[in-house]
Formats: sequence, C-alpha cells, structure tokens
Amino acid sequence: MSGLLPEDVSLAVPDIALGLALLTAAGCALIPRSRLALAAGFLSLGALTALVWLRLDSVDVGLAEAGLGGGILGALLVWLAIRSPHSPAPDSAETISTTQPTSGTRRTSRPILNPRTLLGCAAGAVLGGGLCLVWFQVLHALPAWSEPLEEQMETTGVTHEITGVLLAFRAYDTLLESAVLMLAGVAVMALGRDGGLHQLSLPQPEVPSALRWLVRLCAPVLLLAGLWLLFAGSSDSGGAFQSGAVLCSLLILLRTAHALPSRERTEPWIRPLLIGGVVVFILAGLVGPLLADPLLSEAWLSWQPQWATAAVLSVEILLTIGIAVGLFLMYLTLENPEGVQ
Amino acid sequence: MTTAEFSLAGIVLLPLLASAVAVLLGSRVRAVLGILTALLICGLCTAVLIQTAAGGITELALGGYEAPLGIRLRADGLSALFLCLSAVVGTVVSAHAAILPASAGHPGFWPLWLGCWSGLNAVFVSGDLFNTYVGLELVGLTAVALVALGGRDSWMPALRYLFVAVLGSLLFLVGVGLILAAAGTLDMEQAAQQLAETPEAHAAAVFALCLMSVGLVLKLALMPMHRWLIPAHAGAPGAVSPLLSALVIKAALFVILRLWLWVMPLDATTEAETGLAEGLSTALTALAWTLGGFGALAVILGSVMALRQDRLKPLVAYSTVAQVGYWFLFLPLLLDPEAGALEGQPGTTLAEDAVLSGALSGSVALALGHGVAKAGLFLAAGLLKELWGTDEIESLRGAGRRHPLLILSMGLCAVGLIGLPISLGFTGKWHLATSAVAAEHWWIIAVLVLGTLLSAGYLLRGIAPLLLQDAKDPQDQEHDAAQDADASAESPRRQRLAEVPAFVLGLLTVLTGFLAVGIDALMGVGAPW
Repeated sequence: MSGLLPEDVSLAVPDIALGLALLTAAGCALIPRSRLALAAGFLSLGALTALVWLRLDSVDVGLAEAGLGGGILGALLVWLAIRSPHSPAPDSAETISTTQPTSGTRRTSRPILNPRTLLGCAAGAVLGGGLCLVWFQVLHALPAWSEPLEEQMETTGVTHEITGVLLAFRAYDTLLESAVLMLAGVAVMALGRDGGLHQLSLPQPEVPSALRWLVRLCAPVLLLAGLWLLFAGSSDSGGAFQSGAVLCSLLILLRTAHALPSRERTEPWIRPLLIGGVVVFILAGLVGPLLADPLLSEAWLSWQPQWATAAVLSVEILLTIGIAVGLFLMYLTLENPEGVQ
Repeated sequence: MTTAEFSLAGIVLLPLLASAVAVLLGSRVRAVLGILTALLICGLCTAVLIQTAAGGITELALGGYEAPLGIRLRADGLSALFLCLSAVVGTVVSAHAAILPASAGHPGFWPLWLGCWSGLNAVFVSGDLFNTYVGLELVGLTAVALVALGGRDSWMPALRYLFVAVLGSLLFLVGVGLILAAAGTLDMEQAAQQLAETPEAHAAAVFALCLMSVGLVLKLALMPMHRWLIPAHAGAPGAVSPLLSALVIKAALFVILRLWLWVMPLDATTEAETGLAEGLSTALTALAWTLGGFGALAVILGSVMALRQDRLKPLVAYSTVAQVGYWFLFLPLLLDPEAGALEGQPGTTLAEDAVLSGALSGSVALALGHGVAKAGLFLAAGLLKELWGTDEIESLRGAGRRHPLLILSMGLCAVGLIGLPISLGFTGKWHLATSAVAAEHWWIIAVLVLGTLLSAGYLLRGIAPLLLQDAKDPQDQEHDAAQDADASAESPRRQRLAEVPAFVLGLLTVLTGFLAVGIDALMGVGAPW
C-alpha cells in the first residue's frame, strides 16, 4: 500500500484534483433531469477522461477517447438534447405499455433514493471495492510481450509500437473490431427508412451564414488533422480509429453547412466505402496462405517484409474511410429518430 | 500450413468477407451468397473436425507471431463440437431463410447473420482472452440488430437486449483486465499455466472469474437474469429466433466452460491449505453452488412459466430459459473434493476423472442437443406464425391437418428437448445423472426428473392442440380463407419446401443421439484432465 502515494504528496495534488473533477463530471452526466445539462456533463466527462489518459502517458487512448467518446458521441447527445430537451421518465416505455397509453405519463418528480438506484449503487460499490482490494493484492506481472515486441518490431513495416500491435501482432482483433463498426453501419442501414439514407434527401434547417463561413474555414484544417492522425500513426500516436472520428466530424460539419454533395452523387459511394476496409484487410490477409511457399508456414494475416508497409498503409487508409462513413451513417440515422421507419 | 490450420482462420474470416460483400448485392443474390458461404463453412468445419477426431489439437499463430505477442487460434474437442453445431444449424436455418425470404424479416438479415456466424466461430476457435471479448461483441451487436429486424415492436426488446449484452461484455472485459494484470498474458493456455504457478494471483483470478461468470450469465439469461430473453427471442423474425436460441447463447456458454475448466487453476486453489487460499476456495465453491442453484431454479421455474404461456413463441422462449439451467447443474460437482476422492477408492469401478468428464460431456451433449432441437422447434413455430398470422396456441388448433410435416418435426424436436431416448438430450441427462449418483449429489437427480416431467408437460400443451381435429367451425373456415390469401402471396410450393429445414432439424435431433459416443471421444481431445 505504501506505493500508493508518492513521497512528496504535493506531486499528487493535480492527479487528485483531476480524479475529483472526473467524479463530479460523471455525477453531472448522470444526475440532472434536463438533457442539455446531461449532455454538457457528458462532454466535460469526455474531455476530462482524455486528460486522464494523457496523464497516464496513453496518448493513443486519449486521442481515441477525445475523438470517439467526447467528439462524435457528444455531438449526437447535444443534437438530441437540442431536439427534445426533456428526458422521459426512466421507465416510460414500460409505464406506457402497461398502464396508461398516453404521453402524459411523464413523471414530474424522480425520487433520488428509489430501491433500484440503491441497488445499483450497492452493486457499484461492491464492484469498485472488490476491484481495489484485488488490485493491491495482485503481484503486477509485467506483460509477457515486452521483449518479443521489441524483437519483432522490424518485421511490421511501421515504427510506432501501438500501430504495430494494432495492424501486425494483433491485426486479427483490429479486423474483428472494424467488422463490428461496419456491421453497426449495416444494422443502421437495415433499420432506417430508405436504407438509412433517408436523412440525406431531407432539407436541412437554415443556419446563420457566419456558421457556414466558419465551417468552410475549418473544413480544410479538420481534413489535414484527420490525415495527419492517419499518416502519423505509423511512426507516432494516432491511427485509423482516431482519424476516422475526425473525418466523420468533418462530414457532420459539412452537412450542417449544406456543403455536402447531393444525395444522388453521394449514395453510390456509401456502401463500397463502408465495407472497403474490411474486404481489403481480409484479402490482404489471404495473400499469405494462398501464395505461400509450401515449405514455409505462412499463416493468415502475415505481411511479407517487402510489402508490409504498403499493405499496412493501404489497409489503414481504407479502414479510416470505412470508420468515418460508418460513424456518419449512425449520426445520420440518429439525427432524426422519428424519421426512421 | 495444413488444410485444418487454413480452415481455422478461414472459418472466421471468409464468412466475414461474405458478410461485407453481401452489403453490395441485391436481396436475391444475397441469399445465394449466404447458401454458398454456409456450404463453405461446412467444408472448413469438416477439415477441423477430421483433424480433431484424429486426436490432434489444431493451432494457428496468426500472422506468424506466437503468443503472447500475437494471437493464437486453437481448436480442441470442445471447439470442434460447437463449430459443428454452428455449421449444421446455421446451414439449415440459412436454407430456410433463402427459401422463404419473409422469414428473414429484411434483406439486411444476410450481412448481419453472416457477420454473427463469423463471430460465433471466432469465439469457438479463440485461444486468446481479449480476442474472445471481441468475438462476443461481434456476436452481441449483430444479434441485437437481427432482433430489431422483427419490426417496430421488437425495437424495445432489442434495445433492452443491447443494454444487457453490453453490461455483460463490460463485466467480462474487467475480468480479462484482471487476469492480464495477474498473469501478464492474454493467451488462455499461458495464462492458465501462469496462474497455476503463482498462488498470489489467485485472489485476482477468483474475483475475475466471478465478474466474468456474472457477465456471461447475463448474456446466457440464467434464471434471475432471464427477463430480456423472452421478448427478444419471441419477437425476432422467424429465421432469427432459432439462431439466437440455438447458437448465440451457446457462445457465452462456451466461454464459461473455457474459463472454469481450462483457464482457472481450480485444483491449485482448492488444494491449498493456507488461510487466504481456504477463503478463496470457499468463495469459489459458493460461486459454483450459486450458479448451480440458479440452474436448478431455472429448470423448474422456467418450465412452470413455459406451462403458463398461451402463445407458441414465448412458450419456446421460456423453454430455452429452462434448458439453460441444465448446463449449470454440473458446476458444484466440479469443486466437490468428495467427487474426485471417490474415484481413487478401491471397490469403485470408476476410471480416473470419470465423474468430472461424465458430468462435463453430459452437459455439453445437453447443450448441443438443445441447439439442434430448439432451432427446429423455433423454426417450425416461426413458420406457423408466418403462415397463420398468429402464434396463439388456441387459434392454431388443428394446424396439423394442413401442415403434417411441420407438426411431425415439432414432435421430433420435442423428443430431444424432453430428453427421450435416443436423442442427444437423453444421453446428456443420462451422463449427468450417472455422474451425480457417483458423486452422491442426489439433488441433481431430483432436478432432472422434475425438469423432464415439466418439459413434457409444456411441450405437450404447446403441440397437442395443433394435432386435435375440431369439428368444422366457422373459425376454421376463416383460417382457410386467411390461408388462401397467404398462399397467393407466397407460392404454396415454396411454403411446402420451407417446412423441410425444420423437418431436417427434427430428424437430426433424434439421429444425433447415435453420435453420443463420438462426442465423448471428442471431448477427450485437449480436455483439462
């Protein structure tokens, strides 16, 4: 337990303040009744979480948290909060279906200390307490992959270790995760009206011209930032997921400023771009076993050193586009939930 | 690299490729692609099965990077059995969806189902804890989307299912993190070795096991956590419910078996004598008894709830809740020191580890038998609902006159679910019962007998009215009219053809009983003893 606090307690003050701020933000994201306040709480929670990751020297996780958790999800929540600021009662669906089929069942007061809340808090406390107890008992075993990681980095065609893990050593996990995102996009398209693209043909609300100008000014910067995150990923922090999130926010901004091409021109591209990354990833993985020298044991998803960089880079570019399109599709459908089927 | 090694990754990645390509195709071509993929999966699965039946464990280090740095795929007897289940059930249900597109709900069924299939296979061949989590996520997300294809009414159950699935995944992920902190590796085999060697890490391992068990049991709908399953499985489209009941919940069961029997250092924890270890051993035993008790509760209460249903699909869904209970009854046997001690004593004819292996292969046989039988029953119930526009048992009275083949297949599936000889369900219950007797756990016998009687009751109550002939009443003629209206929409030949997949599953329910010996032998490949 002595290793918990550093010798000089004053060094720990910023960390403790950050932790307390995190808890406060989490409270703000859960307790208030107005959706706008909840969304604001969530946004600050996202920003603080990103800071915590930076403080823990996990720049990649911090960027991903800021881009996906704070950025895209925050944008969605704010949009929903603006559209319908009052949150329905927590069990409104059940209430409506069982007792009164009117919309007037919205509860005016929500008791803070109902049994469910208490049960949830108790479960959380047990979980947190148990985790803390166990955590201090564990003889923290250093990850067993540190040594092989350094030895094998040269074969991957990239120099940043996290990108190496994501696209070479554990490429299989990355592939399945991108498939999860792709299928989320497919699900949204299957459930939304008109293949999920209905929103594209609806007129957008008018926005002040200042905002349009601002978006047009910001768009190139965002594009550059997205591309930088993508290409810097091979030698520094960043990568497909973070870059995809930034590019998706670019698409959202362009949409609000009426700067996106018409539906007729965008529609044919959406599906191919959504699946391109996953398809090319699997096909590149197939090259190893298909062209294998029968004497060598070439496995699935193995990159030959001579074309490793090219393969990793093209897969990453296509994955980025797929992620951006998938996220944008989800935003489109959720933008107007009543408009879906 | 051998064919089996190629198949091991191919069985995951090729369906995923097909799923992605299907997004670009029209709905008819999607069905063709789906059938081709199903046949491909059967072929790949056979390659893995042949290697496993020959007594070899198939292993493949992806990208050529060995664990702990890379990810290792691994197929032993347990994996091969569940792969076969997913291949057989998946192919038959895909055929049904291709014959009767209306039963799939939406053309979006194909990419989502192929993605789900890929995730199921990924879970079954994974040798890595984090990869198992990713596989479970793939299965969970696609399963939720498939439920939502059932139309506006099934959105609410789908959303609820999503919350439960995500909560379960998070608990599982926290457990994975704890094991990583304690063992320093994500590879299951290496983690098991590391945990067995370091007694200090046992507290973390036991806590992780608790969290992961709770998370997975949420996804599996064990009794007190079962409420989400009924509306989700009953509200899903006709071709989706069989997949959910037969395959999707099996992914969580498979991971539970892997964790309890392969990853956890159960022997080392229960045998240690020191104070702390004794506490851990008590905690572990308590967890096993809790899950076993929930299982018994599920068997009895789930069956009683099934008895009280008036509609066919919710009845079948409650039957799933009841059957889930059987798979947890063996856990207390696992940790009972008496059960092992009995084998060594002179005078008993039990071979080494006979109790444990009997209980385990019995439970696996029950799960596999349930997979085939429940898929058939749900497929038939879904088709009846499709054809008659309702699944109220009362209004389906006399449906057997019109669809004799369909009701016959329901009867065959019921044989498997009740556990009558010669079905796999019977073999499973027999193995479980003999192990329970050998270990003197009489309560298991009581639960098995009661569960069997109740399941016979609810299945009879569900199926018998379909066979009863009423005198021609006006309602019947109304149905004839409705039937004719339906027939004009889908050609009658197609409808007749759509009854065949359910019948195939019914036949398989009974015929797989002959494979019981093979299942025991396969379970021995790469078994934890």
